[in-house]
Amino acid sequence: MDIESLIENVLNALTAGVTIGCIYGLMCIGLGLIFGIMKVVNFAQGELLMLGMFASLYLVTGGGILAFLGPYIGPFVGALLAGPIVFVVGALIHKFLISRVSGLKTAGTIDDGHFGQLIVTLGISLILQNGGMIVFGSTPFTVQTPLSSSAIEVAVGYGDASVFLNKAKLIACAVAIAVAIALYMVMEFTRIGKALRAAADNPTAATYMGINVDKYYRMAFGMGCGITAIAGGLMATYLSFGPFVGFDYVIIMYSGVVLGGIGSIMGAFWGGLTVGFVQQVSALILPPQLQNAAIFIVFLLIVLLRPQGLFGRSAERA
Amino acid sequence: MLEVSNLSVSYGGLRALTDVSLSVAEGQFVTVVGPNGAGKTTLFKTISGVVRPAAGKITFFGKDLATISASDRAHLGIAHVPEGRQVFKTLTVRENLEMGAYPAAGQAAWSRTLDRIHTLFPILFERATQLAGTLSGGEQQMVAIGRGLACAPRLLMLDEPSMGLAPAVTDTIFERVQQIHKEDGVTILLVEQRVAEALELSDHGYVLETGHMVLDGPYETLLADDRVRKSYLGLT
Repeated sequence: MDIESLIENVLNALTAGVTIGCIYGLMCIGLGLIFGIMKVVNFAQGELLMLGMFASLYLVTGGGILAFLGPYIGPFVGALLAGPIVFVVGALIHKFLISRVSGLKTAGTIDDGHFGQLIVTLGISLILQNGGMIVFGSTPFTVQTPLSSSAIEVAVGYGDASVFLNKAKLIACAVAIAVAIALYMVMEFTRIGKALRAAADNPTAATYMGINVDKYYRMAFGMGCGITAIAGGLMATYLSFGPFVGFDYVIIMYSGVVLGGIGSIMGAFWGGLTVGFVQQVSALILPPQLQNAAIFIVFLLIVLLRPQGLFGRSAERA
Repeated sequence: MLEVSNLSVSYGGLRALTDVSLSVAEGQFVTVVGPNGAGKTTLFKTISGVVRPAAGKITFFGKDLATISASDRAHLGIAHVPEGRQVFKTLTVRENLEMGAYPAAGQAAWSRTLDRIHTLFPILFERATQLAGTLSGGEQQMVAIGRGLACAPRLLMLDEPSMGLAPAVTDTIFERVQQIHKEDGVTILLVEQRVAEALELSDHGYVLETGHMVLDGPYETLLADDRVRKSYLGLT
């Protein structure tokens, strides 16, 4: 291999790693939000990603209400709108199912409701997968946009070597970063964000402050679902998907959240970014089947060195 | 303002409180004393609604609290400073106080109460941006009390503010509680194991033993009672 194409390959893998990583980061924030605030392990998160993809698909293609936006802007607006739609789905799932096995209702019981949560979210996951099969069918879909097959070529100044930036992935990455920053601002500076963090930190004390913890948990669950759905909508522009797509990504989401530090919502973004980056860059030396194995090798190394995750911190005074 | 009448509470068949009555008038300083496991914390948790009573009635300004959810009770002006402080460890000191001001009354009075809290506890101003979990026990207790004050309460309930604190720090805390009562005119309901100091501050005292209210009366009456003198004050 000559040095020109080597440089080209490495740089392309690095940029793909960063762009894909940012989208994974957003996806992980959704799961991290639910786990960080409610301490609920949600096995159905992958299916909410899938619902986000389909929500975006039905919004922007065929007779969808966003079809008039055309194939350039439409898919990205569709991805953003998938957020509120899946937020509502998540809030309903919480109201009728999750709230019965979580929150103040199960606080202080022998397992804090974790066994119930495990079975309920696993059940939701299976129902959504197979329900998706009935409703959407099994042919793979993508949200078509001409941007996914065009790239910006950037010369690197070494012979003919240049980096190709896929336009769809680039825009998706920018949208993912914007949504992540917006969420960060909400969590850090608004009354709702602070109340969410207070309810996560100490639900009983939050109740003493007049914070309706169950209401905020519902909001957190909805937001977590909605954020992952936006990531799903973005991924749908460059990926073909079906009702079972969630399974591949739920594993990535969990490794991202654990890497970022359990409970650290923004850490989940960096965790997801790391996972996406490792996955893409490993393609340089490993066959595609081993890409996910590479994720877990890096995962194990990081967890070995920093068991609390990259951004996990202990606020407790010794 | 607060009337607790014939309250009984059970935890899965285990009686924690039996037929307990207590009343707090506006502007009063009322103390509940009693040994470990007497049910003092349970009494507070039932008033603030996180524990459901088996029988009995609690009214606040004539309003029956039975149908009012725990989180809504804070909006009525009941501030609960819980046992063991329970500050939001991962939030900053300032954010903790802001959460105390979550009810509308607290938000309306925010800039004034924040000044007041900083006057009472200047250290909280210095540590405003520090995570509350990194503070010492005494400082955390100040955050907890400040957080209670931030909602502009009509009734401030303090559950063992001296727990686990050095005597000198406890003295400061007691002094501040007295200031809050005298200068801000806040009605106070206090649970304490440091019986002598607590009763000295109060207009009216209750003695709770194994879930029963065994004695109540003004400071002088309790001080004259042999059992109180022997068991709680160590006097003969």
